[in-house]
This record gives sequence, C-alpha cells and structure tokens, in this order.
Amino acid sequence: MKEGLNSLDGQSRRKFMMSAAKSALGVSMVPMLGSNNVFGAASGGKAEHCIFLYMSGGMTHLDTFDPKPGAETQGKTGTAKTPVAGIEISEFLPKLAKGFKDIALVRSMQLLTADHRGASYQVHTAYSRKATIIHPTTGPWAQRLLGKKHDTLPDSVVIGGGGNHSGSGFMGPLLSPLPIGDPEKGIQNVKATVDERAFGKRMKMIDTFDAGFQSKFKTEEVKAYSDFYDETLKLMKSEDLEVFDLSKEKQEKRAAYGMNRLGQGCLLAKRLVANGVRHVEVTYGGWDMHNDLWNVIPERAGTVDNAVSALIEDLKAEGLFDKTLIVLASEFGRTPRINANGGRDHHSAVFTTMWAGGGIVGGQVYGSSDENGVAPKENLVGAKEHNATIAHAMGMPLDKVIYAPSGRPFMVAGHKLDQKTKEMVPEAEPIMQLFS
Amino acid sequence: MNRNNITKQIGAALVGMVLITSSISANARVWKDQKGHEVEAEYVGYEKTAQGLMVKLKSAKGDIKLPFLQLSAEDQAYVKEQAASQAPVLSGSPSQKIDQMIMTKLKAANAEIRARGAALSKEEGLSKLERQKKAEELVYEEKMTLPNKRMSDQQFVRRVYLDIAGRIPTYNEAVDFLESGGKDKRAKLIDELLDSEAYVMNMFNWYSDLLRIRDGVVMGGGGQLKAIGYVDWVKDSIRENKPFDKIVQEMLTATGTLWDNPATGYLVTDNGMPLCNLSNTFTVFLGTEITCAQCHDHPFEEVYQMDFYKMASFFGETNTRGGGSMMAMGKKNRSRSERDRLNKLLLDGGKLRKNAKTDNQLNQILGTYGYNVSDGGGNKVKLPHDYKYDDADPNAAVAPATYFGEKVDVSKHGSPRQAFAVWMTSKENPRFTVNLVNRLWKRAFGLAQIEPVDNIPGDLGGQAQNYELLKFLEDTMHELDYDVRGFMRVLYNTDAYQREACHVSPTLTQIDRGEYHFAEPVLRRMTAEQLWDSLVTLTTSNPESMQRRGLEDYQAVMNTDLATLKTADEVMNFKKQFASVGSIKGMSGEMGSKEAMAASRVGGEQMVRASELALPQRPGTFLRMFGQSNKQLIENNTTLGSTPQVMALLNGKITNQVLTDAKAHLVNEVVNNTRGRGGKTEKIFMSILGRFPTTAEKSAASSGMRVSKDKGKPMNKEAMEVAKMGNVIWALLNTREFLFIQ
Repeated sequence: MKEGLNSLDGQSRRKFMMSAAKSALGVSMVPMLGSNNVFGAASGGKAEHCIFLYMSGGMTHLDTFDPKPGAETQGKTGTAKTPVAGIEISEFLPKLAKGFKDIALVRSMQLLTADHRGASYQVHTAYSRKATIIHPTTGPWAQRLLGKKHDTLPDSVVIGGGGNHSGSGFMGPLLSPLPIGDPEKGIQNVKATVDERAFGKRMKMIDTFDAGFQSKFKTEEVKAYSDFYDETLKLMKSEDLEVFDLSKEKQEKRAAYGMNRLGQGCLLAKRLVANGVRHVEVTYGGWDMHNDLWNVIPERAGTVDNAVSALIEDLKAEGLFDKTLIVLASEFGRTPRINANGGRDHHSAVFTTMWAGGGIVGGQVYGSSDENGVAPKENLVGAKEHNATIAHAMGMPLDKVIYAPSGRPFMVAGHKLDQKTKEMVPEAEPIMQLFS
Repeated sequence: MNRNNITKQIGAALVGMVLITSSISANARVWKDQKGHEVEAEYVGYEKTAQGLMVKLKSAKGDIKLPFLQLSAEDQAYVKEQAASQAPVLSGSPSQKIDQMIMTKLKAANAEIRARGAALSKEEGLSKLERQKKAEELVYEEKMTLPNKRMSDQQFVRRVYLDIAGRIPTYNEAVDFLESGGKDKRAKLIDELLDSEAYVMNMFNWYSDLLRIRDGVVMGGGGQLKAIGYVDWVKDSIRENKPFDKIVQEMLTATGTLWDNPATGYLVTDNGMPLCNLSNTFTVFLGTEITCAQCHDHPFEEVYQMDFYKMASFFGETNTRGGGSMMAMGKKNRSRSERDRLNKLLLDGGKLRKNAKTDNQLNQILGTYGYNVSDGGGNKVKLPHDYKYDDADPNAAVAPATYFGEKVDVSKHGSPRQAFAVWMTSKENPRFTVNLVNRLWKRAFGLAQIEPVDNIPGDLGGQAQNYELLKFLEDTMHELDYDVRGFMRVLYNTDAYQREACHVSPTLTQIDRGEYHFAEPVLRRMTAEQLWDSLVTLTTSNPESMQRRGLEDYQAVMNTDLATLKTADEVMNFKKQFASVGSIKGMSGEMGSKEAMAASRVGGEQMVRASELALPQRPGTFLRMFGQSNKQLIENNTTLGSTPQVMALLNGKITNQVLTDAKAHLVNEVVNNTRGRGGKTEKIFMSILGRFPTTAEKSAASSGMRVSKDKGKPMNKEAMEVAKMGNVIWALLNTREFLFIQ
C-alpha cells in the first residue's frame, strides 16, 4: 500500500489521512451536514471582531479545560465545579469555572501531527504545511473576504507572536498582521526623529539612491519592502496610534487583567478591537511542559484564568462582547501519561479549545474525549472544522474561492472537489451547536 | 541575452574537453567514410586531437578512431546527434565542472521553453488574452535559463564579505580589494575570508540556527545551565575546520557534562525528549522529517511507526540526566547534604533574602550537576501504549535497527548510539551527505537544490531535477572528506556564484519541480545576523575584536570542590564567579569584560557581532525584529519583511542614534579624514553599499547634507557635520539596495 502513496494526488492523500484517522481512533470526522445552506445566515456573522488567544507550546488539556478526576494519569490537578451541572474544569481556572455560562468548550479537537510547527500551522491556517505554498492565517483571510475595517489602523495584529507565524501567506505582505512584540511597549518607532520637512527631504533621498536597484531587481521580496514603506508612512500619520499605548489605561484595569504578557496582551487586544481592528491574536508561550509540570501549571493557568475572565468582563461592560469572538487554542494537548521528569509530552490526538462571545452560546461543551483524555469519544473536530467555525462566526463565506498568484484555488477553511458536481466545495462545516 | 549567446557560452565551456561515454549504447551500426569503406561498430565518443576531431568507435575487433571529416554526411550528422544527447565528461576543477553541468541544464531548459513557445504559436483555440498570458509566462521562465553577466568587482566584494564573513566589508577592505590587481584576486579574497575569524562567527550563526543553540541549553529550561562551553566548542570546530562528519559524530556520542565535554550540548538540548531529539537529528542531518511517525505510519513516505521506534532505540540507553558514570566530584557537589550546608552558611551569614530559607539561584546552579550524558540502565525505548499495528504489541521493547541505508550490527560498536553515529555519517548513507551539500548550496545560492531542505525524498533519481549536479556535489564532499570550508571554496569559485543575482524570483512551483537551474544566485535579503553584523561594521573599527568565551572559566567554576567553601563570603564568591562565566572579552585577551563592554558600546547599544551576543536575543530587539531565530525550532530564521522593521529603520535608535554617534566608526572615519561633500559622499557610499555614487546620487547627497539649524538646539561645528552625514547615512540604510545581497 505504501508504495503507491507517493503518486497519489492531494485529494487521495487527504482521503487516506481521513481513513487513517478513522482506523486509528475508531471515530469518524465531524459529520457533514450535507448542504452548505444549512448554516446560512441564522446564527453566524455576529462577530465583527475576533480575539484569538494562542497558547504556544501545547497547552495541557487535562490540567486546564478537560480534567479527568479519578483517572490514574490526572496527576495532582483537582477540579472546579461550574454552574452547569456535570461540567467541571481544572481547579487552576476558578474564575472561568465561575463564569462558565459565558464560555463554550470543544473537547474533541484533533490534529494529525504533533510537531509544534506543523500543528501550529494547521490550527492557524486550516491547511497542512506544504513545500509549495504558504497559506494565510485567519486575520488576512478576513481582510480579503470582508474588506479592511479601518482606514489607517491595520486589519489584523499579532501580539507576542513568534517567527513562525505564517501571516498572510500567499496573499502577500500587505495583508500581513502587524506584529507587536511586547504589549507594554506597544507600537515602537512610530514617530519620526526629525521634523516633517526634513523627513520629506530624507525620503526623497532614499528614492534617488534606490532608483537603480529597484528598477533592476523586480523580485517579490523587493516589492514587498517597498509596500511596507508605503504602509508605514500611512501609519505614522494616523491619528489613532494612541490605541497601541497601554499607559492610557487606568492602573486598576491593567492590574485586573494581570501584569504579564497575556494579561496586557488581552487588554491591548480589547483596545484595538474597540477602535476598529478586526482580528487580534495574542500569543502566550510556556506550555511545552515536558518537565515538572506541577511546578509551573498553577501560575500559567492562573494567568489565563485572570486574563480571559477580565477580558470577557471588560468586553461586556463596553457592549463589545456579542460582536467579539474569543477563541483560545493551542497546537495540541499533552499526554495523559506523566513522563519520568514529571511532565507531559506532545499529544495531538485530542485536546480542548475554548470559545466565547461573538454569537457563541456559553455554558456548553461540544464533543468529548475518552475517560483518560487519550482520544476523542464523540464529535471529532479537526483544524478545518475549527477554522470553519471561526470564519462562520465572523461572517466569512466558506465557499468563496481565492486564488493564489500561482493560480491555485483556496477556501478559508479548506476545500475539496465534489465528486458528483465536480465543483469545488468547502471541506468542512462549522460547529453549529456552538451557536445555538 | 539571446540564444546564440548562450550556445556560445556553452560552446566555450566545452572547448578542450574530451567527450567519452563510459557506457556504450547497444546500437551497433554500419559506418561509411567518404571513400566508401564500411565498418560495423558502436559509437563511443569523440576527442579533439592535433589531427582534428576524431570519432571513437567500438567494433567487434576492437576500438577504432576515425577522423570526423572523413565520415559520410549521414555519419557526421549521427555523431552530432549523439554528442548532443550524451552528458559530456567534465573537465577542470570541481568549480568548473559545476559550471559545465549548470550550462548543460540551462541549455536544455532553454531549448525546452523555446519548443513550448513554438508549440504555443501553433496551438489553436486560445483567446488573444490567454495566448498573451502564456507567452509572458514563457518569457519569465526563459529569463531564468539565460545567465546574467559576471558581477562587477564592487558587487563581488560586497557579496563575498556578506556570504563568507557575514557582514559588509569595511571601507578599507572594499577599497583594498578594488585596487588590488591580479587575475586571481577573487579566488585570493575567497581564501582569505574563509580563513578569517569573521567566517567562524558567520558560520556559527548557521550552526546555532540549525542546532537551536540557546543560552539555557535545554528547551524546557535547564535552570542555570550555560551554553557557553558548547558555543566555544562549535566555534572551535569551525575554526579548526573539523570535518563535518566528525563534528556530528562527536555530538551524537559525547558523554559527560556540558563543561567537561561541551559536545554533549546537542543531546542535552532535548533533555527529557529523546524521541523529539531523534526527529530533530533526522531533520538536521538527514534532511528528513519523520516526526509524524512517532504517532503513526508516515502518510506519504515510506516510514512506518515501527521504523521510528527502531531508530529511537539506538538512543534508548542514553541518559541526559543523572546516570551511572557521574564523576565523583559532581556527585558530591550535588548531594543534598552539601546543598543544605552551603545554604546554611548563607543563612547564618545573613546573605539570604528576608524570610528565605535557601538561595534559589544557588540551588539551581547545584541542580545543573545533574545534567550528565551517559549510557546505561537498559534500553528505555518501548512502543507506545496505543500502538495499533499488527507487527508488535503495545509497550513492546524494540531493538535498534535502521530502516534505510546499511544494516547495522550494534554488537560491533561500543554502544548503540555509536553504531548509529557511524551509520548516519557513513559515506554510504544515502542522505547524510546529500543533506549537507543541499544546505550548503543554499548558503551560497539562496535556494537549495531540493526545497524544502528537510524534505529530501527517499529516491533522488526521480525527484531531483538537477540530479547529476547534486550527485556531483555529494561526490565532491566525499572527496573533500567533509571539509566544509573546502566545499564552500568550490562553490564560491564557480562562475554561477559570481554572476549578478537573478533579477526576478523563481516561483514556488518552479522551485518545487526543481526547474530553477542556478544560472546565478537568487536575490536574498540579508539575514538578521548579516544585517546586524553589517551595522557593527559601520560602528566599530574592528568588528571581530570582541568575543564571548568561557569554556575554561565554566570548567573551573563547576569543578570547584564545594567542600572547600567554608564561609558565606566564599559561597557568594562562587556564585559571582559563576555569573561572570561567558561574558564578552577582547579577542586577544588584552581586555577584561568590563573594558570590552564599554569599548563596544556605541550610541547606547552593545555593538558586537550577533554570534557574541546572548542567544537568542529578546523578542522585540533589532535582531529578532529582522528575523533571528528564537532557537526553539530548527532553522527558525526568517528574512520576511514587516512594518515594524521599516519603522525601526526609519525612526529607530540604530539609524538615528547609533550609526551617527560621534564614536561610530563611519562617522569618525568620514568626518575626521575626508574633506568636501563629494569625498564624504563617496566614502559613505562605499562603506554602506560597497560602491561609488553616481553623479545624480552625488548631487542628491550634497543637497541632503544641507541642514537647517534648529533654533532650539544650538549645535557645535562637529555635531553639525554629524547631522549632515546622518541624513545621507540614514537614507542609504533605508534603501532596498542595502538590505539585499545582489
């Protein structure tokens, strides 16, 4: 069987992966609803904004949102009751447990790779990493499908992201999210060091000095840099730059979110969203807990508990909660088996994502993992269903075809060929239960 | 360039070559000369002799040589056809051979594109627009089959400095080269740079990206482990040009602690994650991504989950922590009682923080005695508990075995991992050398023969378009016995490398199909390190004068017999000594770390080369902003652009403060030693871009140097001069020409 695999086209390979997943785990992928129209307009499209909280490194599902009390592999993590009968989450998330009516969980997420880079790529783009193309992430997709929301502010921002974020992929650097390293520092180097006249003179000099080179080398990379210069000059003139400045916030509010990367990142995300930025990703690392998990989990999970509940409360107070989707996800979960160093290793077979706001109906759990949190028990969700749900919540058409410069067609949450009609159709459906 | 030119170039490459094929085609035929003589023979090849072109034939009676001009017209045509279809036997130096192979490929690719063009004109049923679009695509593709011209000396000096030394040349270095004579001046400069300390620093960045060398060593955090010994060891290995296979063997088989045997750094990096370490080893040294086989059979390649565990089993006896063969001293130093005693000394001496019972930092330092690479304790690799294939049971033990390449008899080696190291670095291993030459080719040409570099297919023959070249590079590396410096010398001396960079970018599809044949390097943006090190070149007079070192210091402090520490002050002193390990020093030892730090501080930034700074730099710093790896993933370096980069260049500290600091080398040099705007402009251009300004640029610079006095801030004459220079320096650093390597 193996010999033939290399010659399979993408379609057949995907089928193979599906059947491999099936036979491996004894469950099928999320059931197809049949027609695309089923999820038409009813409940999606309320989220004008999205705040994507990315837990980088592989957040343990067992010690956060999917504890298995009584299981031998549960380790030292206890549980906290939620107001919803029968649903418990980790004791390290007391505030979120208390406010569980606002959040929904998907406990049956699965990816077919357990390397950080490949899995993170799938969660962010719905597609698997390929040698020939770089797929865009959700923010640029939204800008492409829905248009830019604000004149001078960027449509998407990534706070604290790493070097591997695939950004706008084939859509080109102009749609790429604005990266902000440290939320406390906000946007750096945005003011010119000389007066306007002198600055203009300097810019003119650049044009003269660079004319020869730019007319000779017409590569995409060179052009991209020139576009960045245009964008930057526009941003420098923007009157809305203050929104990047956290020092404009009251100290009590900053403290409520937590004086750490995630807390301040969430606060900055809220400011950006409130001012018209459509998509903000906040990355928070430190989850690759191969060693001494229980030394670090209380603090790390506590930070999440604090920041996310403060964010929900704040969005509610400003009337933004219903139009802002919050998604918390990671590239995978961690093994139920506790290793020799008191840690847990990579586990992509099942893990949990958290959802709130933007049309999501809180207080529910979709899908489940088995008794030890090893494999999904029901309603398997893959990267494509995950992204379809975000796109649906934000009102992006799942069936809109966007072509890469090479001419290859893509859809926001994956595509396939309908064998009967021979037409391209979306590969996955959103998780409709989250909206009702 | 038109087709005739390309043919001429190829023709030139063939002059003087003796074309013989080793394998004789089975087609014997009847040959006739112009006088009507006949002979039945197979065509072998032809050679140029003093008597003219001789055709070599093989008949039943033996080998025959016939003058080409005496053959019948039909036979002459046959010979021409055969000669064109057979790969020529190459001649000359390895660099020349590479060029010949490239030209052959280019010629074939060009002919193919022309044929497609001809077919297009005959194709029916195309709209005008479609036809035009297809024609444009062909023109674009054809550009990549027509070699650019040889780059000028000015372009050359900048590129080889960036590629070999990792930075732009200083003004003097550039001018020295341009003014030097001799036909072999380029080859000489290449040699000189390959032998320089700058090469070591540049090459270290490559290793550090590949091996994820970071200051804390362990991925998940190893408390107070120090990478400095490992860093020193990698640099030393580069400096002494240790063969690459030897470097890899040393890393895979090292035992002991980071300070006594720094090559252990490679295994310690993935402490607690032996399976990930194996995946990483495959990616880095075999160009093969097998991570997915950790959990299930590889969906597309022939790698079974069982294969993964068989390979992992080679490291099943390896421990990176604890272990049996700990040295007595380390054992004693990390004992519970010793730790309690030292903490008590601090407590009694009033050296602890309020309410603290122990010193956390001290405990962490003592904790690092536990990191020790050893073999023993039985093979710990077992199949996963959920193993689902029918060739073995879950949790079953797995014996070490290879799934490709040679079979290995573990009993013939000192330990299973020694067996693995020998297998992996063997010249017979089908991927080890290919992976290395593929990665090194990318260093010179900006694009690898096989992309992505961690996806080398099991069978090269069917997949690598430039298969012959790749094979040749593999053979060359074998002949050089993994002398990386020697190999790079071959690449840098090719005509292909010395051509002007490709003016357009190959498409991803072209790269994937291997349809880019390397007529010249692609245009690259400087890496974050090249950019930073170029800024160091513009600000300090000797960019390589400061170095971070510390293996000996690390050894000394870790091999302290802690039992000799009898007072709180002595314990504090031990901590202080530990903290000072691995700081920047003057290269020749004339400067202590304090003086070195002060001397290399310009405009508020520590201007020393990237390889001598903390690994990695913090997020948000200049290096990270321009794409330095966070050292957590293999090859995590990126050269993609972003708005913050542009903002940093327009408004940041580096272009507005550091480069125009009065202490900055460029300003110092230009302001103090040159008169007149024209002269100053020339020096600034040569320093930053490695070329002289055009007339138009000179006049633009001249008017750019006119600064109006700011009434609020009185300036002295010198500051005024600096401000004038600053405008031009600022503008040049903001050109794409500066950021890219043409």
